[in-house]
Amino acid sequence: MRAPLLKPSDISRPSSRLGHIQAGGMPPLPPLYEDFNNVTPSELKEEKTANIEASLDDTVAIGIPKPENREEEEKYLRAFLTGLKKLFEKENNWGFLQPLLLSMELCAKCQTCSEACPVFEMSGRQEIYRPSFRSEVVRRIYRKYIKPYGKISARLTGDIDLNWTTIARLAELAYRCTLCRRCASVCPIGVDNALIAHEVRKLFSQELGIAPKEIHEKGSVQQLRMGSTTGMNPMAARDSIDFVQEEMEEITGYKVEIPWDKEGAEVLLLHNAGEVLSWPENVGAFAIVFQAAGISWTLSSEELGYDVVNYGLWYDDVQMARVAVKHAEIARKLKVKKMIIGECGHAHKALTVIADRVLTGDLNIPRESALVLLDDIVRSGKLNLDPSRNDFPITLHDPCNIVRAMGIVEPQRRILRRIAPKFREMIPHGVDNYCCGGGSGFAIMSGYNFPEWRTLVSSRKKFLQILEAFKDEPRDIPKYVCAPCSNCKGSIRDILDYYHARDRSHIYYGGLVDLIVNAMADMKKPIIRFDAE
Amino acid sequence: MSLILLSYLCLAVFALGAAVRVYKQFTLPLHLRWELYPVKHEAGEKAQYGGSYMEELNWWEKERKKSLVNELRFMIPEIFLLRGLREENRRLWNVSFPFHCGLYLLLGTLLLLFIGAIFMVFGLQFAPVSTHHSSFLYYLTILVGFIGLISGTVGTAGLLWRRMTDPELKNYSSFADYLNLFLFLIFFSVSLLAWLFHDPAFNGARAYVYSLLLFGRIPEGMTSEGSFLGRLAVVLSSLLVAYIPFTHMSHMFMKYFMYHSVRWEDTPNLKGGKIEAAIWRNLGFRPTWAAAHIGADGKKTWKEIATPGSKGGK
Repeated sequence: MRAPLLKPSDISRPSSRLGHIQAGGMPPLPPLYEDFNNVTPSELKEEKTANIEASLDDTVAIGIPKPENREEEEKYLRAFLTGLKKLFEKENNWGFLQPLLLSMELCAKCQTCSEACPVFEMSGRQEIYRPSFRSEVVRRIYRKYIKPYGKISARLTGDIDLNWTTIARLAELAYRCTLCRRCASVCPIGVDNALIAHEVRKLFSQELGIAPKEIHEKGSVQQLRMGSTTGMNPMAARDSIDFVQEEMEEITGYKVEIPWDKEGAEVLLLHNAGEVLSWPENVGAFAIVFQAAGISWTLSSEELGYDVVNYGLWYDDVQMARVAVKHAEIARKLKVKKMIIGECGHAHKALTVIADRVLTGDLNIPRESALVLLDDIVRSGKLNLDPSRNDFPITLHDPCNIVRAMGIVEPQRRILRRIAPKFREMIPHGVDNYCCGGGSGFAIMSGYNFPEWRTLVSSRKKFLQILEAFKDEPRDIPKYVCAPCSNCKGSIRDILDYYHARDRSHIYYGGLVDLIVNAMADMKKPIIRFDAE
Repeated sequence: MSLILLSYLCLAVFALGAAVRVYKQFTLPLHLRWELYPVKHEAGEKAQYGGSYMEELNWWEKERKKSLVNELRFMIPEIFLLRGLREENRRLWNVSFPFHCGLYLLLGTLLLLFIGAIFMVFGLQFAPVSTHHSSFLYYLTILVGFIGLISGTVGTAGLLWRRMTDPELKNYSSFADYLNLFLFLIFFSVSLLAWLFHDPAFNGARAYVYSLLLFGRIPEGMTSEGSFLGRLAVVLSSLLVAYIPFTHMSHMFMKYFMYHSVRWEDTPNLKGGKIEAAIWRNLGFRPTWAAAHIGADGKKTWKEIATPGSKGGK
């Protein structure tokens, strides 16, 4: 059933819920998974949402406390408008002023972007998730409340009311877009609705101090205080990775030494610390490959040096800059020739592309994707590779931040073509890929029923793609989704768990470097153990 | 003469409006990189599959290869055939392309009229029986103008109809969106009628361009009085030209910045370069963001706020 067409101005109209996904309203899943076709996100319990803003849709990402009185509401509104104004000032937003202005001014409302958005499509075309819905709300508020003669121009260009409901829903709505920028890539003019969502997130964080706790308090703030978003301090990080070192020998029969704080090494390898806790074999696999290839490398045990994540990329320019500067400081201190970013998509973009216009002088140390270095190692012939060890169907998930935002498309494919005889592409792939559904922080946001909403809605397209990639394979043989990104792996893990895809279709997931090690003839035992997962 | 003055005024408004918008783009501070691949100035296959220079090992040690040919291979069909819309939204392209094609052909007609008027300034006869050059120009003007008017009228009517009847377009359309299309439809329709009933060879239009060039002087053998429809077409086209820079239709020239300053702006920051100098200027700005964790007070610079000493606030 088609969802009713809400108007952008409806966002201001108080109601219990602006958007709602009906049972059976989402695109159907194929056989074996049809029992999920009528599943919708669990109802939020009244007692949990009574005091927070929860009137946007079926889930909650932030959980903003409702204002206690009229004065507090007014304070929020004033702060919101002040923040909105600052987005258009060079002193406050030099980093995105030009892209933002262009995207605010040039939209022709052709709705081409909508068809490219997996959240909009997979929600059963819920109007609130249409990329231009959110942007049109922002444009109308900007024109009416910030630009001169706004009250008059609103009558001509589209009116909207500003109240607590509007801004609270808008804050939540900024966290229903994964910032994958697929909408921008199809826009005939180049308008970037994802950027507008990003800027709204910044406004709330930088002016009102409002952001999901997983990416702010427990994310960038914790990382800057303790060294890692995981809460690991340097000692815990070293202990964990020393354990990985021992485990690697036990798993593969190959003895590996992981170097720490080696001054003058060519390469500083920076991992997402989530790998250490959730996918330690990925950390170990890097060590094996680098050691076998004779790379001069090191890890850092300094705060932040063992955690390359940079959540500021998704919601706060200041936090992003602080973390990026700290990473560069560590590399400078170690006098390395370059920083290699492990299999973490958003860290690729944050440190390589975005921070490129933050880091200056001796902090501007070259930064490179691990996929590029791994490709070089595989092609160099330094590893004794036996592709028959990877003789199972493999498909590749492209992390948006690595392909669409950085243009690193071929290195990972060259590797797979060399080591994976049963590699097949998803459709579409490369720069046209679909997000895993966990982009821009979604993978780590775990409040209320958000993970369920993510798996049912924003990750649904990826699940369909994965099933499609393996549709001609026998059900009972193991299949591998290669996802060279920690957040993507987290999303795909949750997809496979939620839909019981391991049991029903024997689909597993993991990184790229894991597959390289799995193909190394020097390994006495395979690093990928399907039965152990 | 009043029509001529109106046209001058409207052209001046367009030029000024466009110049202000373009000037503003050039004066904005250097932004953070926000490119989106494929970046079409990449050399070789990279432009096709969306690869970047960052796919190369130690890319900073290598000479960057850029390809103007790849860029043009993308831009020419994008500008003239609306390639992106054709691939991503064929239904809308079916009406948007005739509209844009009509505009391009009318701009072409204007150019041909301008050349014709120059001929006239130099005393050359401009009729089908004169020289080969002027005959060719004469018939080409009629052909291009005719196709442009038909295409533009059909396209605008289609766009207006689509916006009024497609629920998804209608839901987001404001009064201004309809007004823009309505003005174009009136302009194209009036011009088409003026051509059909009064000026099938564009002689009157050419004479008007001649007058524009010579500040109101009327070509020999012609009167200053045009048809009502002809004069109305001049008024409408002049007003439309003046109106464009202040609407989203300014994408006709602002799209350049969208692509070249944002989507394809992948210039790396190299030590001691212009980019680095611009970053230093940006880091000297003093933000006033109010959230406690930012620690801004309007006195501290971005550099001071982002330095490692900052512990991320409370």
